[in-house]
Amino acid sequence: MNPFGTPANWAAFPVIFPALVALLCLLAPRPSVWRRGLALLSFAGLLAHACWIVSHAMNEGPLVLRLGGWVAPYGIVLVADTLAGIMLALSSFTALSCALFGYAETPTREEHPLRLPLLLFLLAGINLTFVTGDLFNLFVAFEVMLLSSYGLMTLEAGARESRQALPYLTLNLVGSALFLAVCGFTYSLFGTLNFAEMIVRSDGLAGDYRLTLLAVLMLMVFGLKAGLFPLYQWLPGSYSVMPAPIAAFYAGMLTKVGVYVLIRIFGTVLPPSLTELHTLIAWSAGLTMVIGVLGAVGQMRVQTILSYHIVSQIGFMALAIGLFTPFAFTAAIFYIIHHIIVKAALFLVSGSVAQLNGTDDLARTGGLWRAAPWLGIAFVLQAMSLAGLPPLSGFWGKFMIIQEGFTQGEWVLVAMSLVASILTLMSMLKIWLGAFWKAAPEGTPVASSGRTRAMSAVILAMACVSLVIGFGAEKFLRIAKHAADETLDRAGYVANVRAANETLYPSKTPGATKP
Amino acid sequence: MTNQLEAAVLVAVLFGSGLYLCFSRRMLRMLFGFLMISNAANLVLIAISGDPTGKRAATVGEDAPVGVPPVDPLPQALILTAIVIGFAVAAYLTVLIYRLYTDRGTANLNTLFADQARGGAAAKEDAS
Repeated sequence: MNPFGTPANWAAFPVIFPALVALLCLLAPRPSVWRRGLALLSFAGLLAHACWIVSHAMNEGPLVLRLGGWVAPYGIVLVADTLAGIMLALSSFTALSCALFGYAETPTREEHPLRLPLLLFLLAGINLTFVTGDLFNLFVAFEVMLLSSYGLMTLEAGARESRQALPYLTLNLVGSALFLAVCGFTYSLFGTLNFAEMIVRSDGLAGDYRLTLLAVLMLMVFGLKAGLFPLYQWLPGSYSVMPAPIAAFYAGMLTKVGVYVLIRIFGTVLPPSLTELHTLIAWSAGLTMVIGVLGAVGQMRVQTILSYHIVSQIGFMALAIGLFTPFAFTAAIFYIIHHIIVKAALFLVSGSVAQLNGTDDLARTGGLWRAAPWLGIAFVLQAMSLAGLPPLSGFWGKFMIIQEGFTQGEWVLVAMSLVASILTLMSMLKIWLGAFWKAAPEGTPVASSGRTRAMSAVILAMACVSLVIGFGAEKFLRIAKHAADETLDRAGYVANVRAANETLYPSKTPGATKP
Repeated sequence: MTNQLEAAVLVAVLFGSGLYLCFSRRMLRMLFGFLMISNAANLVLIAISGDPTGKRAATVGEDAPVGVPPVDPLPQALILTAIVIGFAVAAYLTVLIYRLYTDRGTANLNTLFADQARGGAAAKEDAS
C-alpha cells in the first residue's frame, strides 16, 4: 500500500522528489511541453503532499525520520511538523503559480533550458531547510538553495543585470562562512548539532554568556537571509532585475526561509530566556519596517518598489517573533501564509505590466485598467491586502501583531508599524495610478493578447486564494495557532524526536544514546 | 580542552583580512577574500575538534593503542562537506567575475556600478 514503508519516510519526499524531477528535466536538454507538464505535475504533487503533512501533523503529530536509520544524536533527523508543512505547502504553491505564469509569459521554445531544473533544485534546497532537524544539515540546505539561486539569478540576465548578482553573492558568501563558524561554535558548546539534543542541553546553559553570543551570531546569519535591518541592502537591487516569475518566487520564498529559520531557532531550539535578544529582534524589525517602506518612496519601477516592500513586510514578521508570545507566533505564521502568496502575486503583476506596456517604469506605463480590467481587480485585491485593509488576509496578521504590541506596551513599535502600513498604502496607490488608472503616455504600447490574459488568470487565481485566506481566516488561524504552539513546545519536540529512536531501537533508552 | 590561542588568533586574522578583501572594490580581491573567509570557517571547525596532539584516528580496532584519546570524527566530516561546498561556490564566483569582466570590460566595482553611483532615475531607466 505504502511504497515508502513507514509513513515517516514521507518526510524526505519534499526534498528528494524535486531533485529527482530536476535530474529528469536535465535528461531532456531542450524545453518542451512534456518537460513543462512534468514540472507542473511535480509542483502539484508536492502541494498535495504538503497539505497531507499539515493534516497529519495536526491530527497525529509530526513525522520524524532518521536518515539511514541512525539514532538522533549521531545521525540526521528530518522533522515534518505543522509549521514545516505550512511552509512546504507555500513553497510548492508559489512554485506552481510562478511556473504557470512563466509558461504563459514565454513560449516553450524561448524558455531557457536550465530554468525549470534550477527552479526544482532551488525548491529542493528550500524544502530541506523546512524539514531538517539538524543545524549542519540546515547549512547544507542553505547552500543547495543559495547555489541554485545564484545560478537562476544570473541565468537569463543580460550584461547590465548580471552585476546585481554580485552584492547578493558577496553578502551570502560571508553569511555562509559565518554560519559554518556558528555550526562549529554550536558543536563545541553543545556537543551536538541535533536540534532536539540542543534543546535538552541548552537548559543547562541558561545565563551562560556563550549562549547569548552564539544567539547573536545566529541572529546575524539568519537576519541576513531574511533581509532584516541593517542587513537588507542586498535585497532590493538584486530582486528588481530578474525575470518576473523568478523574481516572484524569490520574493515569496527566499527571505521567508530566513524568517522561518528565525522562528525555528529562537522559538524551538534556543531557550526562551534570551529576552534581550528578542528585544533586539523587535527593534531591528521596527527599523526594518520603516526603512524598507521609505526606500520605496523615491522609486519608479514597480518591481523595485515591491522589492523595498518585502524588506518592510519582513519587519512585521520579525516584530511578531520579537514579541515572543504564543499569540505573536500565531500572528507571525499567519502573516507568512498571507504574505508569501500576496507578494508573489504582486511581483507577477509587475511582470504583466512589463509585458503589457513594454516597461514597468511608472513614468511610462498607463491605461491598463481599460486593457486588462481583471489584472486591475487582482492587483487592487492584493495591494489592499498588503496594506492591511479589512477583511483581506493582510488585515488579520497586522491586527494581531499590533494587538500584541499594545498588550506588551510597545507603543513606539506599534506606531512604527502603523506608519509603515500607511506608507505601504500610498506606494500601492502610486502603482495603481501610474500603471492602471492614468491614460497611457504617448508611444506606450498597450498590447493585450491571449498570452497576457493567461498571465492575468494566474494572478487572479492567486488573488482568489488570498481572498479565501482572508475570509476563512478562522480556519487558517487555527492551523497557525497549532503550528505556533507546537513550535514553542520545546519538550514536545524533544519527545517526538526521541520517540522515533524508541521505535527503531526499542531496547535502548533515549538516555543511553547520548555520547 | 587545551589552550587553543594560536588557532583563535589565526581565525581572527583570516576572517578579518578576508572580510576586508571581500568588501574591496576589486573583484579579484573579493574572490581571494572569500577563499580566506571560508578557510577561516573551516579552521574554526578544526579547532573545536580539540587539540590534535596525541590522538589517533577515529577507528576502533583490536590493535588500537590504549590510553590515547580518539579524534572526534564529526567536525572532520563537517569540514569535508564544507570544503566541497566552498569549492563549488568559489567556482561559481570565478565564472561570474570572469563573465562580468568580459561583458563590461572592468573588474572594478566602482566602474561597474558607476552609473548607479551618479544616481538618478535616468541611469536606472537605462538598466531596465
